[in-house]
Amino acid sequence: MVANVWKVVAAEGQQLEAGDTLVILESMKMEIPVLAEEAGTLSKLHVAEGDVVQEGDLIAVLG
Amino acid sequence: MTATDNHRAAPATPAAGATPAAGATLPRDPVIRLEALFDTGSLELIAPDTGTGAIAAAGLIDGTGAVAFASDPRVQGGASGEAGCAAIVAAYEEAVRRGVPIIGLWHSGGARLAEGVASLHAVGTIFAAMTRASGLVPQISVVLGPAAGGAAYGPALTDIVILSGLGRIFVTGPDVVRSVTGEDVDMARLGGHEPHSRRSGVASIVTDTDTEAIAQARRLAALLGDHGKVADDPRGADFSGLLPASPRRAYDMHPVIDRVLDAPGVELFPKWAPNVVTTLGRLGGGTVGVVANNPLRLGGCLDATSAEKAARFVRMCDAFGIPLVVLVDTPGYLPGVGQEWDGVVRRGAKLLHAFAECVVPRVTLVTRKAYGGAYIAMNSRSLGATRVLAWPGAEVAVMGAVAAIRILHRRTLAATEPEKLHDTETALAAEHERTVGGLQRALDLGVIDEIIDPAQTRQAIAHAIAAAPQARGAHRNIPL
Repeated sequence: MVANVWKVVAAEGQQLEAGDTLVILESMKMEIPVLAEEAGTLSKLHVAEGDVVQEGDLIAVLG
Repeated sequence: MTATDNHRAAPATPAAGATPAAGATLPRDPVIRLEALFDTGSLELIAPDTGTGAIAAAGLIDGTGAVAFASDPRVQGGASGEAGCAAIVAAYEEAVRRGVPIIGLWHSGGARLAEGVASLHAVGTIFAAMTRASGLVPQISVVLGPAAGGAAYGPALTDIVILSGLGRIFVTGPDVVRSVTGEDVDMARLGGHEPHSRRSGVASIVTDTDTEAIAQARRLAALLGDHGKVADDPRGADFSGLLPASPRRAYDMHPVIDRVLDAPGVELFPKWAPNVVTTLGRLGGGTVGVVANNPLRLGGCLDATSAEKAARFVRMCDAFGIPLVVLVDTPGYLPGVGQEWDGVVRRGAKLLHAFAECVVPRVTLVTRKAYGGAYIAMNSRSLGATRVLAWPGAEVAVMGAVAAIRILHRRTLAATEPEKLHDTETALAAEHERTVGGLQRALDLGVIDEIIDPAQTRQAIAHAIAAAPQARGAHRNIPL
């Protein structure tokens, strides 16, 4: 499934808990939040608002 | 021992990183494994253990009767010969005669090499016995060690497959794979947790430890073996705050399911096709199967895999007389070349067929929206739903109003000045809602029976199930 990066919620360097929203994708007329699967620091964001992402693309790295 | 020892599918040591915590693995003695499955002191062997490689027993699980068998990995790696297979077939006949669930504890390299074609024939008789029993008694497989060849297809023919930490399921092991295809893969990557929980759809449930695997098998045997009855008037539950403020925002359906059920149920295939959730649990004390879209995954779209997953679950529940609760929030079937080539038409049709033939009480609740072909597939009135409920503000339509008017009024909109486009679209969408869409139209047509206060959700669903005639589908549960 292809999606647009609609909104970037978290920022690099930010401390995140499991379940926190990283970015919100837009696809099929739906806003789909991408959540942190575990707690950690957001070390790198690989997408910006307006980018198009595919299944399997790297969105962010949690350190 | 003998030359057949070479046939052992696996060494006892697991791949690095896959080792469960110490004490989490049950001893290899099949009687000890069976004792862990049954209520204490209730186990009775169906036939004495004569070293056939498989042992069968009857007993109680949570006070309800059950039959079980276990392969004996201490004898030729649990491989099945004529005598061992006969013991398993006898266990099946006993389960069907008693009308109780049957649980298989698998740890077997497959057919015994030393017995040649006789063992192949014998393994085939197990498959035939499983198929005869399909839909009559619930069948649960727990894979505790490697299950290869015939031992892989045995579990695959049953209703539910639980894969424990050291369990591995494959047709042929890493050595054969390497020599035939050149792929270098270990047992865990070939047939362990990751492939079978996320990719293949072989394992309904994976657990880290044998103890958890047995505990899940007991919960499922109790749910499937003793349905109880859905009480007409269960306690209420608070559903407020579960839907996001924006109608476009995705949300997780799990908290909704947890509140519909008396207590969190047992989810099957949680990581495979997660855009549909299939969970067994109790509502008002009676066993129900929940089929739900999950908007958090693929926006709640149905696709080829999730339709197949849901279809098999619906047919299983129907075969055992378990009422269904269908929670709907779906924007449609997933579009795309990949989906079409993957057979979304053929595989999606399975869900239509499953619901249309289903005779158990089945109640649909539209939480937010039901669009297009997916609206029909998710237990719509047209497919014979017992009752269709909706929360206030839910939408039922071929597609969203804005998307619809962009097609219906393509020419008008193309001729509209860009700065007026938004206003024109809004006006056309509102008009469209008035004339063809909207919940009121669905109520007038009778495709939705009632708009309910979310606080009354459990009562409304339970009442509809309790008031419907109890029936049970007369079919088997083919592994779709």
